[in-house]
Amino acid sequence: MEKTADSIIRARPLLGTFVEITAWGAEGRHLERAVDGAFAVIERVHELMSYHEAHSDVSRLNRANAGVPVVIHEWTVAVLKASIDLQDRSKGLFDIAVGAALEHLGLLPSSHGASAHASAVGQSAVGLHPRNRARLLVPGNTIDLGGIAKGFAVDQAVAALRVSGVVGGVVNAGGDLFVFGPDEQVVAIRDPRNPARAMAHTKLREAALASTALSFDPVAPDRPSYCSVIDPRSGAPVATMSGATVRAPSCMIADALTKVIMIGGRDASEVLEHYGASGLFMTNNGDVLATADWEDVHTLAA
Amino acid sequence: MVEWVRLAVPAAIVASMGSPSHAIQYLTVEQSRTLSFPSATDFVAIDAQAWKVASDGKTVGRYIVDHVIGKHLYIDYAVTLDAGGRIQRVDILQYREAYGGEVRDRSWLNQFVGKSSASTLRVGADIRNISGATLSCHHLTEGIKRIVTRYGKDGR
Repeated sequence: MEKTADSIIRARPLLGTFVEITAWGAEGRHLERAVDGAFAVIERVHELMSYHEAHSDVSRLNRANAGVPVVIHEWTVAVLKASIDLQDRSKGLFDIAVGAALEHLGLLPSSHGASAHASAVGQSAVGLHPRNRARLLVPGNTIDLGGIAKGFAVDQAVAALRVSGVVGGVVNAGGDLFVFGPDEQVVAIRDPRNPARAMAHTKLREAALASTALSFDPVAPDRPSYCSVIDPRSGAPVATMSGATVRAPSCMIADALTKVIMIGGRDASEVLEHYGASGLFMTNNGDVLATADWEDVHTLAA
Repeated sequence: MVEWVRLAVPAAIVASMGSPSHAIQYLTVEQSRTLSFPSATDFVAIDAQAWKVASDGKTVGRYIVDHVIGKHLYIDYAVTLDAGGRIQRVDILQYREAYGGEVRDRSWLNQFVGKSSASTLRVGADIRNISGATLSCHHLTEGIKRIVTRYGKDGR
């Protein structure tokens, strides 16, 4: 397809990272407005699902006593629904009730006074009710959508761009990204042991890619970082995995499944298959394994 | 069930590979000012990095340009404040991620001067889309807070 129309690339600091949007297929000023709207959608998702923002749906749920229903936005309902399904399909490896463990590690502010991971492995932390109401099910529990909301924000931004008539582009929220439109894009995957370097390449078209690894601060690269993925079975951060990357039909699913691979490793293949996703992971000793159905992922050693 | 296949990533080869470091100018200061204040008629300098923005004699906000520099990262960004001193938007103007200490090297930085997003410059690789360890924008957030303190509601 010939690109006769303009193309723009814009970036803003959102969701605690750098969000970059590439859009093409319309006149320049139209693209600016569409991209502006897509950034606004991402900000809205952040406002609704942040653990830090006092007025977010997540904070309001966490402050409410267990059993008391709270009216939340339909987007939050959608993410909670997906979280429950992911927890079920992953036999408890995906769990949004790890907020307490993250607070103990200093990775989340101790604003909600969570004391422990109060629900059992595989036990749902939230109940959903008609008319966009939700409630926490277990006293002392808190939820954190940090493992899935960023992917959802990317999907919503892509949906907004499409509605605005943008033909193609990429929404990349700090490495969780979606390539939409008729063009294929090559994506590099950072080496989790050394984020300055690429480890592999793959091609994407109408698909999402998300990664999880140690957090990485390019301003202060020597700052110690550790894994923020919590194994709900132990309540401790994952220690055996360096990083995981997932390709999936939606960025929300890709984002969430990176956590399932970080925790479950090879055991994640069944849940990956269920969601039509492919994955790869690197263990601490540098072994890289990918699902056999992911044919166009190439390590740079090849 | 889908099988897992081992991919060859010998450590020695990984170590010698090119990095995904990249640099891009998203917006020039002029482009960014126009996008932030489409109806502005005047930009009056407050100091070397900040402007008071007026539209037909009425103050509509402030526009401030700043940068964050680290060992591997150099970012120019612009903060748009409304007439009440509240943040309207933050745009990244230039993003340069590099390894091997280039960011601290002035001649390396100078090569990006005047580049626009239409002539996107790529360093080290042709690939702009990168996934992997999530980059933190913690330092940028700190910079934005300083700007709001200095130029925002209670600032000058």
